[in-house]
This record gives sequence, C-alpha cells and structure tokens, in this order.
Amino acid sequence: MADIASFNALQLDAIREVGNIGTGNAATALSGLLSRMIHMDVPKTELVSIYELGEHYGDPLQVVGAVFVRSTGGFGCSLIFIQNEEDADVMVELLLKQQFGTFIPINEIPEEMKDSALSEVGNIVLSSFLNAINLLIGTQHQISVPGVAHDMLSSILDVVASIYGQMGETALLVNTELSVDGLEAGRKISGHIILIPDPDALELLLKRLKVM
Amino acid sequence: MAEQTIVLGMADLMVVPAPVKLVTLGLGSCIGLVVYDSFAKVAGMAHIMLPDSRGLQGSEKVGKFADTAVPALIEEMLKKGATRPRIKAKLAGGAQMFALPGASAEFLTVGAKNVRETKMKLAKMGIALLASDTGGNKGRTIEFSTSNWMLKVKTLGKGISEI
Repeated sequence: MADIASFNALQLDAIREVGNIGTGNAATALSGLLSRMIHMDVPKTELVSIYELGEHYGDPLQVVGAVFVRSTGGFGCSLIFIQNEEDADVMVELLLKQQFGTFIPINEIPEEMKDSALSEVGNIVLSSFLNAINLLIGTQHQISVPGVAHDMLSSILDVVASIYGQMGETALLVNTELSVDGLEAGRKISGHIILIPDPDALELLLKRLKVM
Repeated sequence: MAEQTIVLGMADLMVVPAPVKLVTLGLGSCIGLVVYDSFAKVAGMAHIMLPDSRGLQGSEKVGKFADTAVPALIEEMLKKGATRPRIKAKLAGGAQMFALPGASAEFLTVGAKNVRETKMKLAKMGIALLASDTGGNKGRTIEFSTSNWMLKVKTLGKGISEI
C-alpha cells in the first residue's frame, strides 16, 4: 500500500486536481438542481492527523447535517457532504421552493421530508463528483444509497478516523467548498465536500494519473 | 479543593487523583471508558477509537485501541494506588453514525466492535462494568466527576442522562 506520508508535491497536486474536476461537475449539478449560481472553492488535498480531525474542520461540537455515500469499484472511496445545520435547512428550503414553486419555512417541513431533501442534494452533489473522477481515471463504480446524520462535527468525523485509523495516524482528504446565495439577499450558504479515498485505492489513482 | 476539568482528545488516556472532572467531546463510533477506585480516590479515562491493534506498529498511542487501552488504563490505576477488586468501570459511545442500506462497509459498524472488544477486555481483567450507554446513531459528549463518581452523558436531541 502507498505510504501517504511520503507523497510528493506533484502527487498531492494530482489528487487535488482530481478533486477540482469532481467539484466542477458537482457544482454544475447543484446549480441545475437549484437553478442558482454556485460558487466553488479551489479544493485542497490535506494530510490530517486522525487525532485532530474534529478540530480541523471547525468547532468539534458544532451541529452539522451530513450526507455520506460509499463508492466501490476501481477507485473505492467514501464521500461526505457537510453543512452547518442552519445552512442545511436553507438548502432544503431552496430545493423545495424550486420543486414546488412555493416557499415553505423549514419549521413547517416534516422531519422525514427534510432528511429526504437533504439526502437528495447530497446524493446529486456527491454522485456528480464521483462520476467525473471515475470518467477521468477510467474506472467503473457503484454508489451506495446515501446515509444522513445530524450531529456534532467530531462525532461525524469519527467515520474518517475509523477508515484511516487502521492504517496509521494520518488521513488523506480532499476538501472543497460549494456556496450558493441563500433565500435572503446577501446571505450565502455553503457545504463542504470531503473525499476520503480508501487508503488502498490511492496507488491506483496515482498510477492512472501517471504520477506513480 | 476545586475540581479540575480535563478534556481528553482522540486516543488520549489518563489517570488522575480526585477531585477531577474528565471530559470527552463528541464521541461518535469512539468509546469513552471510565475506570475509578472511589476508596483510593483515583479515576481514569480513555478515548478509544478502534477495537484492536493487531498488526500495527508499537509507536502508536495505547489509548487508540480497545485491546491496548484497557490494560494500560488498569496498570496506570494500580500505579496510582487503586487495587484491582475495587476498580469499577463505566462506558459510553460506540454509535453508528451512518447507515447505508445494502452497502457493505465494515468501518461503519466499528462502534459496535469497539463496545464488544472493550467489554471483553474488562471482563478478562476482572473489572466490574457498572453502567454503559452505547450504540444507537447519535454522538455523545461525556463528563465524569469524582464528586459523585457518576458519568454524565449528553446526546443531541435526547438530553442528559447520568449513569
């Protein structure tokens, strides 16, 4: 298995570029879904100590809405779409307004419908991200049904620790941010896409990108 | 004497004399294991991430794995004046944050494995497990106070319970 701590700048940059291509496709899909302009951030490839994951992405106790999918095939990986709980609520309002034409405030939307809408947003964002990557490196893939959770950031990120913790003490993550104008003027809502490649899939990825 | 609060991070392991408050924030699939001897007035906590360390390098933190954390915690307790028959344990955590119907992803059930392995290790070492709050799909924040030897468990949306 590739030792992630020894990756050189070129290899990390290649992984970041993969994130960039995935993010572009995800932004296009989200834009189509919400009929709004989406701003995307330049993705970062990050090597993070598994002991510091909770703090790395913000306040570990902050409540977030998260959608998780697992992709299997040539390039096995997991993906999380994470938003502040308030931003997730606005995202749900935006989606439902777009679908039904009328605005329904979040506290009048039944819990199951909220989760269903959130998981749909996550599913579209994450599967577009994955489609672009797999097309680029020429691999087949299957995506799981999305799982949704609302909880403390550090509890959610335990899942990363359990993937990378078995192999060592560092996780390799590709982190990017999408943002969209909220319902109120001037208010922006955003979501993070975190790509968690399976440690044993990184070698294949780097070989396909011709940097290993 | 005022109670000092110590917050333990991922894979941390610590044994300290009373009075003290031991805290771990936002446990998902991880485990917060508390051991104490109320007679010797000493308490310890470990933030366990994974069930077993088989095949891994010895350089890693002992608190990371259930099979290394439990013996290390007990040994540290004995060094600080506890005796084995008096040591009691309480534990919380081990949730499954995401469920993906139909997908095979072993790492998603690591919480349950953490609980099983920790309980097994405690039993093997003859440590009485007095209370536990484990499983489910919600994260937990825990606080153990030596003022009453109780473990406070806060779960989002479910409030606070004391075990």
